[in-house]
Order: sequence, then C-alpha cells, then structure tokens
Amino acid sequence: MKFKTTLTMVCVLLTSANVLADVKFTGFASINAGKVLSGDGVPQYDVPPTFLADYPIVSTYSKEWSFREESLFGIQISADLTEKLTLTGQIVSRGADDFKAKIEWAFLSYEINDNWTFQAGKKRLPLFYYSDFYDVGFAYTWMRPPADTYTWQVFNYNGANVMYTGNLGDWSLSTNVYMGSEESTDNRLLSQFFFLEPTTEIWKDIFGAVANVSNEWLEIRLTGMTYTNERTRSGIPVTWGGKEERDGTFLGLAVNVTYDNAFVLTELNQLELDDDGTLDSLMVSVGYNFDGFIPFIAYSELEQTGNYLDGSVIPDGENHNTFSVGFRYDFHASAAFKMQYDKVEDNSFEYAVAGDSSALTFGVDLVF
Amino acid sequence: MKKLTMTLSLLLSFSAFADVAVIVHPSNNSTLDEKAIARIFTGKMKTFPDGSQIIPVNLAAGNAVTQEFNTKALNRSESQLKAYWSKLVFTGKGTPPQEVGSAEEAIKLVASNPNTISFVDASKVTGDVKVALKL
Repeated sequence: MKFKTTLTMVCVLLTSANVLADVKFTGFASINAGKVLSGDGVPQYDVPPTFLADYPIVSTYSKEWSFREESLFGIQISADLTEKLTLTGQIVSRGADDFKAKIEWAFLSYEINDNWTFQAGKKRLPLFYYSDFYDVGFAYTWMRPPADTYTWQVFNYNGANVMYTGNLGDWSLSTNVYMGSEESTDNRLLSQFFFLEPTTEIWKDIFGAVANVSNEWLEIRLTGMTYTNERTRSGIPVTWGGKEERDGTFLGLAVNVTYDNAFVLTELNQLELDDDGTLDSLMVSVGYNFDGFIPFIAYSELEQTGNYLDGSVIPDGENHNTFSVGFRYDFHASAAFKMQYDKVEDNSFEYAVAGDSSALTFGVDLVF
Repeated sequence: MKKLTMTLSLLLSFSAFADVAVIVHPSNNSTLDEKAIARIFTGKMKTFPDGSQIIPVNLAAGNAVTQEFNTKALNRSESQLKAYWSKLVFTGKGTPPQEVGSAEEAIKLVASNPNTISFVDASKVTGDVKVALKL
C-alpha cells in the first residue's frame, strides 16, 4: 500500500513535471550467471551447498547454473522541476525478486547553493562505501562488493539528508548527514534465510554522517551511524534483555589508493549491537588496469565477538570470510564483462550462514 | 575487426598531431591549469576563480578529440569516466556535463555564454573564443 502510494505520487509528480520540466532517463543493467562449484551447506540448518553472493537481496547460487540471482535492470527518472529542485526516482527489477519492479529511490533534491544540497525521500542507506551504488555494477570492478562486509539486512531508508561538497586546496571534501527510519516488512534476509518465518525489521531513529576527502590518488571515507532496532517474528515482538528495542552503533573507514593503473581498495567496519556484541568486518582488494582489462584479488571477512546482554560471552559468533579472484574487461565504453571466483569459509556452527563454498560467477554490466 | 583497426589508426593519427584546446568566453580571464580543468570536467570545481559559475560542455563521447581530452586532461578512458559518472548519477550526487555534437557547436555555445568552458581540436579554434589552455 505504502509502495503504491509512493508510486502514484511519483507518477503524478513526474507527469506534471513532464509538462514543464526537463526529464532525463538513465539506467543500468546487469546480466549475471553463476553456480556453486563445491560447497558444504549448513547441514544443521538444512541449508544445501550455497554461495550467498548478496546478503540483503538474498542472491543465492546453488549447484545448478542460474542467470537470475544477481541479474537486474534499473531505470532512473530525473526531472528538473526548477533550476534548483530535482525529483529523482529509481525503479529496479531484480532476478532474485522474480523481476518485480520496485521503487528503490524516490527523492527530492534541492540545491541550496554550489556547496550545499538538501534531499528528502526514500534513499539508499549510505552505510558502506559502495552501499548507495551497489546495484550499479558498471561503477565498480568486482561482480559485487564483498559479501562479508555488505551483510546488513536493511539497505534503504526514508528520511532527509544534507550534503556538502567543496574543496580544500587540492583536496575535495564531501559530507553527508542523514536521519530517518525504515520498516522492512518480510525482510528478505531475516525471513528467508535466518528465521524462516515472516520477519519485520524496523530501524528507527537512524542518524548518520559520512565524510569523504580525496585527491588525485587517495580517497578516505569516514562514517558513523546510530539506530534503534525493533523486530517482529510472525507478528510477535522480539525482545533483547527483556526490552522490545535495542540500539546499534556503526562505524566505518574506507581508504582507496589509485596509483597510475594500480589500485588498492579497503574497508573496515564495526557494528556494536545490543545482545549481538561486536561485528567487525574488513575487506581489501588489489588490482591493476591493463588498458581496460582489470584483474583483481580481494579478501573480506566478518567476525562477531563480545557479550550477550546477560553478560555471557558469545562463544561461537558469526564468522566467515571470502577470497576472490577475477577480472573486469571494458569491452565497450558503457559495458563491462566480469568473471569472478569466490571461496567462502564459514567458521561458525551456531551462527553458520551458508557454509563453506566455492563459486564461479560471470556477467555483463551496462549503463545507458 | 576492420572497425577496430580503423579506430586504432584514427587514435594513433590523432595522438600524433591533434592538440586539444580548452576554450572559454573571450571575457574570461581565469588562469586554469591542468588540475583545474580535470576538476571542472569531473564536477569537483563549480566556480571560476572570480566566483562566477562554471558550466562545462563536453564534445560527444566517442569523438576522437573527446578521447584525447579524457586521456590527457582527465587521465581516464571513456569507460572509466562513465563508471565515475554512474556512481554520482545513480546516487543523486551529480550529473555529467552536457554534450554537444561538434566543435562548431561548442564554439558557438562558449562564444555566447561567459559561464561555459569546453574543448575542441586546436585547429578548429576561431576568434570568437579564447584558448585557456592547450593540452
């Protein structure tokens, strides 16, 4: 219902905008295929050999070839209502979602001046470096940002943000401060993968900030976010330490170095979440651009440690890592072919996710 | 294959003799170095040193002069540049410069608007515009 209302609103606004505004259509697509080469699955949870390529969307490859898990089509409609006011909508259709088209972004952007922009609406939660262009495979090197790092079940939010962009000598500076909330009914990851029952995940009082400084060869991104979590499983509120809500604090650092044709990309993140202890993740990737042919290797991991709210130690927390090797080939100015081999180690018994696996995926990313 | 060879020979011949001229309105007295040009055409610098707004204008992608400019000034291939802009466009953080089809159009636009900046094959420059920098 909420979705329908948003859709109607966007349509009405776009239709009326159409008459007087400059409307731009752009888009992106990925056609990807893959399969598990070998895998253990998680016998204790009846999970067959699986490569979980994308946690929040639950893109799962099995031992059969599949073309749908990570394939997607996205269209962005951007209407300049006035010189300073822009309405943007992004509709994405995912294979993992039976290609149902959904509005992923719908926001108004007001350019206060050359430095400051105010935005409000439905946007992607900018937790990680690649979060807000995760769907646009053409914009990065791998098949997907490393799965161990990009595990959080909520990836959109409704709210408002203020962005600043400016220069400090040779350095570019951009910051973004945002607040909002998200109610994810039948959350895919929690409902289909973890609890196997309809789970509604609510993140409220989201408050976060991102700062990014870069020059010609170095980019540093710092981020922090706090939120309050509520959850229902089959309609019944989940409690943590006797309370129906809990708090989480997220911190992240990304450092990217590009030197001539070589690059090193890194991300270090930590989430402290009541009753789930501390979840640390990191990823590092190295690659080289041979005139449009870009081989890379990558390593990522996530480890959960700390205590439950009752003070007891989490003995066997979530603990998995992935080693990846692959390449991107820019065979056209707007299209890239990619292939990647991933080897996943899932070291936890109690918090096992998808078990050990090795998988091969390949595909084409486009923008238009 | 034929097409590739043609493209290659075109590229080679261009890198052999084509200079790219960055052009501005005759009234524009800004001193712009290569770094500034790169920042302007990647959306990072939005005002000229005198404070007036910058409107960058690209020649169409695929044009040999554009490829030359991308390599020399932006240090990026067309594909890398597309990837760079995709990241900004699909996150509501920026839009790439508008494009014109020919050097004549670029010159006409720059000659008529003091806020614009563009680039053309140096041999096509006319007296209607000023060359801010040659690459």
